[in-house]
Amino acid sequence: MTKDELTEEESLSGKDYLDPPPVKTFEVRELKKWSFYRAVIAEFIATLLFLYVTVLTVIGFKSQTDINAGGGACASVGLLGISWAFGGMIFILVYCTAGISGGHINPAVTFGLFLASKVSLVRAVSYMVAQCLGATCGVGLVKVFQSTYYNRYGGGANMLSDGYNVGVGVGAEIIGTFVLVYTVFSATDPKRNARDSHIPVLAPLPIGFSVFMVHLATIPITGTGINPARSFGAAVIYNNQKAWDDQWIFWVGPFVGAAIAAFYHQFVLRAGAMKAYGSVRSQLHELHA
Amino acid sequence: MEGKEEDVRVGANKFPERQPIGTSAQTDKDYKEPPPAPFFEPGELSSWSFYRAGIAEFIATFLFLYITVLTVMGVKRAPNMCASVGIQGIAWAFGGMIFALVYCTAGISGGHINPAVTFGLFLARKLSLTRAVFYIVMQCLGAICGAGVVKGFQPNPYQTLGGGANTVAHGYTKGSGLGAEIIGTFVLVYTVFSATDAKRSARDSHVPILAPLPIGFAVFLVHLATIPITGTGINPARSLGAAIIYNKDHAWDDHWIFWVGPFIGAALAALYHQLVIRAIPFKSRS
Repeated sequence: MTKDELTEEESLSGKDYLDPPPVKTFEVRELKKWSFYRAVIAEFIATLLFLYVTVLTVIGFKSQTDINAGGGACASVGLLGISWAFGGMIFILVYCTAGISGGHINPAVTFGLFLASKVSLVRAVSYMVAQCLGATCGVGLVKVFQSTYYNRYGGGANMLSDGYNVGVGVGAEIIGTFVLVYTVFSATDPKRNARDSHIPVLAPLPIGFSVFMVHLATIPITGTGINPARSFGAAVIYNNQKAWDDQWIFWVGPFVGAAIAAFYHQFVLRAGAMKAYGSVRSQLHELHA
Repeated sequence: MEGKEEDVRVGANKFPERQPIGTSAQTDKDYKEPPPAPFFEPGELSSWSFYRAGIAEFIATFLFLYITVLTVMGVKRAPNMCASVGIQGIAWAFGGMIFALVYCTAGISGGHINPAVTFGLFLARKLSLTRAVFYIVMQCLGAICGAGVVKGFQPNPYQTLGGGANTVAHGYTKGSGLGAEIIGTFVLVYTVFSATDAKRSARDSHVPILAPLPIGFAVFLVHLATIPITGTGINPARSLGAAIIYNKDHAWDDHWIFWVGPFIGAALAALYHQLVIRAIPFKSRS
């Protein structure tokens, strides 16, 4: 019966894809399944590895380029290397966890997908908690390995740089997160999957590249957050006043950017509102007939 | 038994066999060259997908300039090259951003993000005149807004450090700048044609997985080569956006190079691909 219904629906629409139905906001049945907890664990581990590699790269860069400590200006991987660390890690981690948890690794991505009804509230909150815990543990590992260097070189924390005001910082975080979440929506769009013959081979690559791009552009401004868990984890372990003073920028900005991306994709590119209007109009037609 | 039959039928309907399994005979092509687009397609003006495509081009070009010009400003403001992402980082910003944005908008608008690409595809009869003009206008507007946001973030450094505008560098003639733009845009548009070729799509089993990646890499490589000469335009909207927001004489003096060069390069790429590589007009005749 279910398959028959699907077949009829497919043949009626003429498309070879189906937009999955919106996930119920208060879906609690998934709490009884192992796949739910496996997904949460996957998000925790992925975010832990993400912060470990990226913050370790940042601390390494700062220690090796410290002129006062015998370093050289060009003696490290440079900001380009840091950007690669962030973008490259997102690429491989999304690749590894896409089939397990959707590969969010970022509360802003989770928030955007929640607004688009692609994850339930319970799952969204669980993912965010796991991501923040994973980020904290990841940075904690970095500190354990080199606590002196860690404390001396800023702990990899996101803070607004000198010369930029708060508005610029928030703006940079909003647009940066928009780029990332918009790419995520494009990569996971069922219509796109159909066009790619349902082969999701390359979805993680543009997502990783968009993270890489945003880091190239905004490291000078905020060190680039666009990931509240990343900013939160570093702030907790570094525990510095300025890091906490600026922390709100790295939650408000990303969440606003994710919301705008969700709106743009759902209502402009996929024209969800138009389709709703169309269905209403067809119902009116049936009423008349 | 009934369930099994049902499964088989559903499966058969869901994935129709394109050709018999096992046979290697290929009596004819498994691709169709799309017909030339008409110059004027009045019907598309009343379709939402037309305006959605324009909006997508606007947003994509806006993000493109925001990220790339912001990266350029970051490099200019740094005390030394190693305290920034460097020239190579700038090249990655341009190429990587084109990859990500072409990937996102390919299914919406074709992912041009560049008036030269739009012009080349128009010459190859792949889109109508109305659509081409609409795309170019939206790309230019998006570019202006993108550069405007970057200036809004740092007004004084933007004006004192060149605003990311394209100009011919000292030691190079305008002819050299023009030549660099022509060949650079040829590389890009030729890659676009190759990536979107119907015959290649058939060879790749109709899975357009990798089209955005070589396009992004083409942009990256051209930037590696010609940033020292002109800062690399190869995208008239990008050059226009920065020139308008920066608004200095020397940026405007050289600005014609960044429209003439890219459009000539795109035209040459269109000629090369359509007439030499694919020989489409001669096939149509026979």
